[in-house]
Amino acid sequence: MEKKMNHKSKSIQDILPLDLIQRILLRVPVRHLARLKCVSKRWYSLISDPHFAELHFHRSPAATNASVFMGGGSLAYFVYLDSLFTDNNDALQVKKVSLPFKMKKLPSDFELLGSCRGFVLLHGDPHFLVVWNPLTGSGKRISYSHIVSRCKHKGFRLPSKFHLYGFGYDAFQDDYLVVVAWQDKDDHYHFDCFSLRTNSWINLDAALSKPLDVCHRNSCGLFLNGAIHWVPYPLTAYRDAIIIFDTKERTFSRISGPEQPVVSACTFPTLALLGGCLALYYHNNDSCNTHIWVMKEYKVLSSWTLYQIPCKDFRPLCLSSNMDIIGRGYTLYGTIGYFIYNVREDLLKHFNDHYCWLPLRATDPLYTESLLPLPGDIKEKDKKKKMKKSAMEIPCLFFRPLCLSNNGDIIGEQFLSDKVQKKKFLIYNVGGELLPRVKYLCSAHNISATDTMYTESLLPLPRDIKDKDNKNMMKNRKRKENGHEVHHECFEQLDVAKD
Amino acid sequence: MGSPLKKIMLCSSEKEIFSVEEQVMVQHSVIINNMIEDGSYNYEESKIPLDCVDSKTLKKVIDYCTYHTHHHNDNQEDLEAWDAQFLNVDSNGLYDLLMAANYLEIRNLLDLIYRTIKNMIKGKKIDEIRRILNIKDHGFTPEEEEQNRKEYPHFY
Repeated sequence: MEKKMNHKSKSIQDILPLDLIQRILLRVPVRHLARLKCVSKRWYSLISDPHFAELHFHRSPAATNASVFMGGGSLAYFVYLDSLFTDNNDALQVKKVSLPFKMKKLPSDFELLGSCRGFVLLHGDPHFLVVWNPLTGSGKRISYSHIVSRCKHKGFRLPSKFHLYGFGYDAFQDDYLVVVAWQDKDDHYHFDCFSLRTNSWINLDAALSKPLDVCHRNSCGLFLNGAIHWVPYPLTAYRDAIIIFDTKERTFSRISGPEQPVVSACTFPTLALLGGCLALYYHNNDSCNTHIWVMKEYKVLSSWTLYQIPCKDFRPLCLSSNMDIIGRGYTLYGTIGYFIYNVREDLLKHFNDHYCWLPLRATDPLYTESLLPLPGDIKEKDKKKKMKKSAMEIPCLFFRPLCLSNNGDIIGEQFLSDKVQKKKFLIYNVGGELLPRVKYLCSAHNISATDTMYTESLLPLPRDIKDKDNKNMMKNRKRKENGHEVHHECFEQLDVAKD
Repeated sequence: MGSPLKKIMLCSSEKEIFSVEEQVMVQHSVIINNMIEDGSYNYEESKIPLDCVDSKTLKKVIDYCTYHTHHHNDNQEDLEAWDAQFLNVDSNGLYDLLMAANYLEIRNLLDLIYRTIKNMIKGKKIDEIRRILNIKDHGFTPEEEEQNRKEYPHFY
């Protein structure tokens, strides 16, 4: 199948090294990448690489997020916030929930519980949860029947069965966690956690230092900084009102909400993530506006800052690139839709009333698209990745590797041509996901078919050893073995060349 | 660093020598900045060999750096208009520029080219993308290609 290039005008694939193509593809929104996979086999393998998915996920600006809604007929609606400003036709994407496992009957209605790293957490009847990546179709079913049998609340749909629920990620184990708090028939609260990697539920009651008491609200957790956060108490009890579950340590802690100078009626706040900061908002019924408190510095109580949005019901979603707050809601005068609040000029602009038919829920989970796999999916892909690593493609003709540098980069040489009898020393940056490249070091004359690597040492030959010197030699050897830097030289003083 | 009048020499793959204000290149190219800073460039003798950059491309790169050095206070719209005009080249010219910018580590030019190529393929059908990027050998077997076309007819 391989054809050598005989085309006159050049193709992108023949010219650009893969890492440059990768950097172009990193700029394309994830939802358009599925199409680009079909452009060529190389692009297909580039885009399918889990490493690429990870890179892409961390590059995506917050404004490429979408708000998600579940509708009838197991349809999921994604409203892309960046497209709301520019291209309305592109803003709404509808996907039917398609799960990679067999079910006797797919429930017609799913309830949306949360979203994390491109996965959404759904609840389906009877009594199961689904973690699903709408772009890759990868998914997993979680049963919670062991809770149902002991649960106080029977016959209700999940969110009212669980007092708290959350969906988070443990970067250290590469594991996704679903956490729920529920009440048994004797009114005791329990905290259970499902790990997608081990595929099992763990009870975490012992980790709770303080019993969960007054949380009489179904509260959706917010994942940030490696922890899931809830605020299940009314603001009057601001002290220790925020419960934090650390996904790595699997422990709980609490922090206080903002201290209220004037406490209006028993208001339940909701959490949001604004520009990487924990934020908390509620509707102030007295002044008919929305209060947003932003914790500018994580876990620093003095950093809570108040913004008052002149909008009766405003649900902040994320920050725009200009640090304005994008949200959804309605004003006193009945204007519904998406709003943008300019913080500096205290200006609220209604910019889009499309999609106002989508329901306003207590919490709108924000969805960040990704191509990330689930821990279970990775095993095979990991193998592939390893194989890929072992076969490296260096964008350089006649490259002959010599050794690794301290950074793990490959130092090698290249013959320019047989006639010139010259060679170049090059360094190839392997790990550099930002700037992998071949760098030119210096040229040297005289080529030989084989270069021998020389590692400098003060070691004597066996017959040179006299008893007297034995100690010294041992010392030398030790020093060499302990030495962190082993200099390989190719007679042409590479180290000098590097400077 | 360096007086604005100091010149440095760049040598293209055709061995053509270009003399450029040091300031212009130092400001934009990480590689040249490093060379000047660590003193490995000798103003009397050195020519920086750019073996993988041809004269035409090198001239464009120098134009870019010069313009952006002297006009960095211009308003954003004017600069963007100039950039758009600057990148009005055929795809081969664009790839050459990308390789050169990558080699010399000119971050803002790299960024500009990535964005341009991204916009060239954004929202386009597969056949159109292949034509724009001149991808003739897509590497799929005929069976795979047929399968893709059957599965995602709206992509093509």
